[in-house]
Amino acid sequence: MADNTVADSRYNYFFLYDGSKVKGEGDPTRAGICYFYPEETPLDKQELLCGQLAGVSRCVSELSSSPVRLLRLRRSKFAIRMKGDFLWALGCSVDIPDVSICNLLDQLINLFSFYNGPIRKSYQIYSQEDLAVRWARYLSHLQEGTTELHHIFSCLSTIDSTHIDPLLLLKAALILQACQRCPLVLAGCILFRGRVVSTQMSPDLTVKVMVHETETYNQDQRTNGLSSSSSSGSSLPSPVTFTTVFLTDPELHYLHSAPVDRTTRSQSTQSTPKEVNRPRKSRLLSRTLSDTPPSDPPEPDPARPAPLSLHCPSTPGSSTSDDLLFSPSLSFHTPPGPLSPSPSTVSPQISYHSLPNGKSSHEVEEGVTGGLHDQSLDSLEGGDSESGLIGVGPVQSCDIPHDLNRHNGDSMALDGEKAGALGFRGQNSPGCGRRRTGIVADEKEGHRGKVQLADTGDVPPAPCENSSGPPLTTMTLYQHRVRGLVLALLVEPHFHNDTAAVEEVYHSSLASLNGLEAHLRTTARGGAGPQGPYTFAHYDCIQNTLTTNLSGRPGGAQERSFVRATSLLHSHFSHTEALQEAIVRNAGAAVYATRSVAQETYFLQQGGALRNSGIPNHQDSAFSLPSKARHRLLKHGVNLL
Amino acid sequence: MKCLLIASESAEVLFYWTDPEFEQNIQEQYGASQEEGEKPPAFEDCINTLFAPIIISCSTMVDRLGDGYTSFSTENNHSYVLHQFEECLYIAVNGDGEEGEEDLRRKIYVMKKMIEVLFGVVTLSSPLLRKELRPQDTEQRTRLWKHLQSLLETYSRLKEQDQSFLVEAVERLIHPTLCEQCIEFLERSLVQQINSSVERAGEEVLHAFILVHTKLLAFYSSRNASTLTSSDLLALIIMVQNMYPSNIDLEDCAPEDVENTSAPDIFYTPEPSPTNRDSGTDGDSVSSGRYEESRPEEGSHGGRGTPIFQFVDPDIQMAEDSLQTLECPPHDPSTPSRVFLEVMLKEGCYPMMPHSMYCLPLWPGITLVLLTKIPKSNLAMSIYVFLEAFAKLEKRLSEGLEGSAARGQTSIQDLRNKLDKFIRAVGTVDIQTSALQSVWTEFKSRAFIRGGHGFNRGLVPWCRGMKTQLCGVYRQCFMAENGVGGGGPQRLSPSLQDRALIMVQEKLIDWKDFLLVKSRRNITMVSYLEEFPGLIHFIYIDRTAGQMIAPSLNITDRATSELGKGPLAHFIKGKIWGLVNTSRLYLQKGYSTVTLRDGDYFFCYFLWFENETGYKLEVKELPILPDDSAPIGMLAMDYYRKLLRYYSKNHQGEVVKCYELLTVHLGVIPVEYILQHCSQLARKLWEPSRIPLL
Repeated sequence: MADNTVADSRYNYFFLYDGSKVKGEGDPTRAGICYFYPEETPLDKQELLCGQLAGVSRCVSELSSSPVRLLRLRRSKFAIRMKGDFLWALGCSVDIPDVSICNLLDQLINLFSFYNGPIRKSYQIYSQEDLAVRWARYLSHLQEGTTELHHIFSCLSTIDSTHIDPLLLLKAALILQACQRCPLVLAGCILFRGRVVSTQMSPDLTVKVMVHETETYNQDQRTNGLSSSSSSGSSLPSPVTFTTVFLTDPELHYLHSAPVDRTTRSQSTQSTPKEVNRPRKSRLLSRTLSDTPPSDPPEPDPARPAPLSLHCPSTPGSSTSDDLLFSPSLSFHTPPGPLSPSPSTVSPQISYHSLPNGKSSHEVEEGVTGGLHDQSLDSLEGGDSESGLIGVGPVQSCDIPHDLNRHNGDSMALDGEKAGALGFRGQNSPGCGRRRTGIVADEKEGHRGKVQLADTGDVPPAPCENSSGPPLTTMTLYQHRVRGLVLALLVEPHFHNDTAAVEEVYHSSLASLNGLEAHLRTTARGGAGPQGPYTFAHYDCIQNTLTTNLSGRPGGAQERSFVRATSLLHSHFSHTEALQEAIVRNAGAAVYATRSVAQETYFLQQGGALRNSGIPNHQDSAFSLPSKARHRLLKHGVNLL
Repeated sequence: MKCLLIASESAEVLFYWTDPEFEQNIQEQYGASQEEGEKPPAFEDCINTLFAPIIISCSTMVDRLGDGYTSFSTENNHSYVLHQFEECLYIAVNGDGEEGEEDLRRKIYVMKKMIEVLFGVVTLSSPLLRKELRPQDTEQRTRLWKHLQSLLETYSRLKEQDQSFLVEAVERLIHPTLCEQCIEFLERSLVQQINSSVERAGEEVLHAFILVHTKLLAFYSSRNASTLTSSDLLALIIMVQNMYPSNIDLEDCAPEDVENTSAPDIFYTPEPSPTNRDSGTDGDSVSSGRYEESRPEEGSHGGRGTPIFQFVDPDIQMAEDSLQTLECPPHDPSTPSRVFLEVMLKEGCYPMMPHSMYCLPLWPGITLVLLTKIPKSNLAMSIYVFLEAFAKLEKRLSEGLEGSAARGQTSIQDLRNKLDKFIRAVGTVDIQTSALQSVWTEFKSRAFIRGGHGFNRGLVPWCRGMKTQLCGVYRQCFMAENGVGGGGPQRLSPSLQDRALIMVQEKLIDWKDFLLVKSRRNITMVSYLEEFPGLIHFIYIDRTAGQMIAPSLNITDRATSELGKGPLAHFIKGKIWGLVNTSRLYLQKGYSTVTLRDGDYFFCYFLWFENETGYKLEVKELPILPDDSAPIGMLAMDYYRKLLRYYSKNHQGEVVKCYELLTVHLGVIPVEYILQHCSQLARKLWEPSRIPLL
């Protein structure tokens, strides 16, 4: 019977155990169980697992003078975290690689502290039942619908960029950058139906932000299921929510680092030929480009031109010119239908609540979208003008400490192929201005961190510091929902007291969000990526994203064997630093894998069983996989050269 | 920071081995909790206390969850591997990063293999094995544990240094002519003479082989002997190496040094009279039929104490010192070791049948090994058959298949008759059978009442009881120190052994120095460089025969090896060891071809099947094994034997052979050339492996 549940969910157990509650001889084990998943597990079994695993972990960590990381049993395994008296354990089937399960546990723990602050304190403030609801939410978020491959890499789920007009991605990035003109806004991301469209935050942070989004989205879905979407007028909760969140020092440092120097930014704009011709398009555009993030793409700039050109052919009509993006005609053939009667008067209704119970947003945006028709343009423009409004002064001033525009550079355009650091470094041409070099350095730093992470394998450095009860800084998460689309911004805590700032951010982004949502809604429904006589997965270690043409449901034998090989090779990569390329073959399939510091790519050529004897033979088709992969994956934007 | 522990379910330590760092670590931890001035507890007690919670938790999990621990790892990369064999829990620990979980698991299985070789069928009865591994007498326990510890250390050393123990296949000295001559000599002169001598005390030489360090020079099996499995042969080589460790540094010194350290002439003094030889009669039929008395042989586990020859090499002495084995009382060097090896006969396969092993050191580094069948060995076969029958019965009964158990009436009647006869026969040869007799009587009274209705679940404990009793009888017969009665120890007479030794010495004296050098430079990479530019190293393994070929890789401070010396050579050696581990990892998951680009190197691994004529058979889906399955290799659990059996299912009536090739190339060589090299190499190496040695 247990086997069934194991098959259903990838994680069969999770618990948090507080050893300080079970000190004396007579203390029952149950006193120490803070949370146990699945909750319906009989109490004596809960006690058995908690008691035994906690006991063994304690004993082993004393013997080795180091906390236990992993306990394996014959039929399952448990990733373990021990901090002070607390012990977290996440159990899964033995198929999931060690690296992956340990990462997932860390993610889970970090999620909790992101929304609730330090563990000890949160258990003092809130009741065990309340927190149980949250653990359950985080758990279900982590094991949600994505494919097995996503779990192997524990990566962000992103929208499928191959089906999306790249200009939309650029637009999303622009929206984020526009928001950042408010000095209280640190960074943001845009999510669509639980997937990342664009983000300025580190992958770790993005995952955390997504939990709340997914949760509220699901709730909305449910409500929508009950009452038709147009009936929202009755309850009309605000589309904007504020949530208190807790950031660790490294995260904060990352957000605050590399302040933008706007004067040099415009120079750097000049230096890139692609940028040079942009200002010509329109007055409006030129302002946008020079003033706002998109123009100065520190890393996207290097990376973006290529993807753009790559993708454009596949999206006919959009390839022509940049101004298409900004022309009102392009987009927002907004839902002409059932829109609210009073478009122009919609004002943001903002609800503040510090708990992420996500009962927040319902669809006010219907009203909003109505007004959108001609506002899309304004929204971009409005962004500009409002920046003046805020009184931050000229956007160009380079000494605004809070201006975190450099993040626009980080915004992930999700072009799969661009893949981080290498590209960025290559772009680090002299004379790009100091701002750019600053960012490149920063990028390298991040990138080094990534490599370290790969080295240490099971023990990613960040989470340890994180959960050790290190200083957590309070920040606020601003979320603005437009149907399936969510704009999430990390803002300074006093942001929501600053009505002017709130309104400015709200208004500046409102119309663009509506437009973006409408577009994504119509285009994002595409199925899996283009199928070919091959299967591939491309993992971007920097952005923590995955591109694959494997459909969500594992199907044929070859797909299963691809996933199995990938999981094996991924864990091999994760603990063998020098390994660059591998081909493994069994009777049925050969899988080629290659990696650089920034990416891992896996490739399987489908087709008739490779008849071979296994004896070394240079004419063997398995050994032509590298060249095939290089060739085939180009059209997916994966460059293996 | 290494440790290996065997514990019973009640957390009693049955055996432990630790390296000095681990011991120190434990003592520090214990010291901290100790009162000032109090005498620190015995180390065994410390280790017991510290591991007890883990052991108890392990059995709790198995009992209540039906799932036991297989491994732990900590943030500072300490690994713990646990494995339960019957009622014995093995725990291996590494805290210095030198061994991964796979290595630890392998170590556990090897330890179990060595225990099987030393204790035979007794290992099938947990209560008896517990007593055997942890003798009441402290001195005896210390001696046994020291022996096991040193075996484990020898294995670890060989696995670190010797490619043949890395890949777990026997390496032969490549010198066809000499090899053939030696085999002929072993057959025509040595084995024949011994087996026709009256001094052989009823024993019969089944196998004779000559080892130069760990490499096999010649191997001869008498006609009526079953083949010696690779697993057993490798285990025996470990035992020989444990008795006469080869010191690499010593071997690599200049020839004149070798000369100095070799045995002086006195060594040859024993002068057996040729007239003693009884070459006419074959006493076999006479002696093997009856059960001869044997008297307790001391130190049957030992045999490794001081070398058999009188002259004690100072360097060997030192090596022995470092292994802390000197505390063992010296014993008669001509006493053989009792070993339990698999016997394959027409009637079936009998694992763990008793043999005597004689290790006769010809010169330091060169050893003649004789394996003899001992007089009572057919008794062992009978006991094994009974054991198997009771095990089957127990299994069927505990699965609730009383019906089929009862249906097996005829075979059970048969068993009953045979066992009655057996007990009567054994009773006549001074073996105490009263306990067996009484349990058997009880069993019969319960089982055969009311026309076979006694066959139900209630009989299970009695099946176990019978098994224990049978193992007890086996132990009396074959675990030498418990041998019955007085009289001389069962062995080939010392003078016969000496004669054998001298015969072989005379034969090989001119070759001695050559062999010692050859064993260090068996084949050299230099001879392959011209044909395979960019090739750094390769290992070619014939898994059917359990043999391997590889360029020698000796890295010592004193000699320059093929790879040069210093850090680079060590680095490459590390890469090769890593490659072997990696290839096993993939093989475990069903991948028979692996190529890896790792830094500046390119690795290839291939496994394939051929028929006898060299025709390449098509690859087949290989089994995918769980992470905690038995290690892939030949020493502890013969993975390849199973693999061949599995593969042969579709190739009935055809001899299937399994080969492996591992290569290391420079990464700058284009992959097409590398693959071409691999296929050429496979073709080229195929020839030498044809030489019929085994």
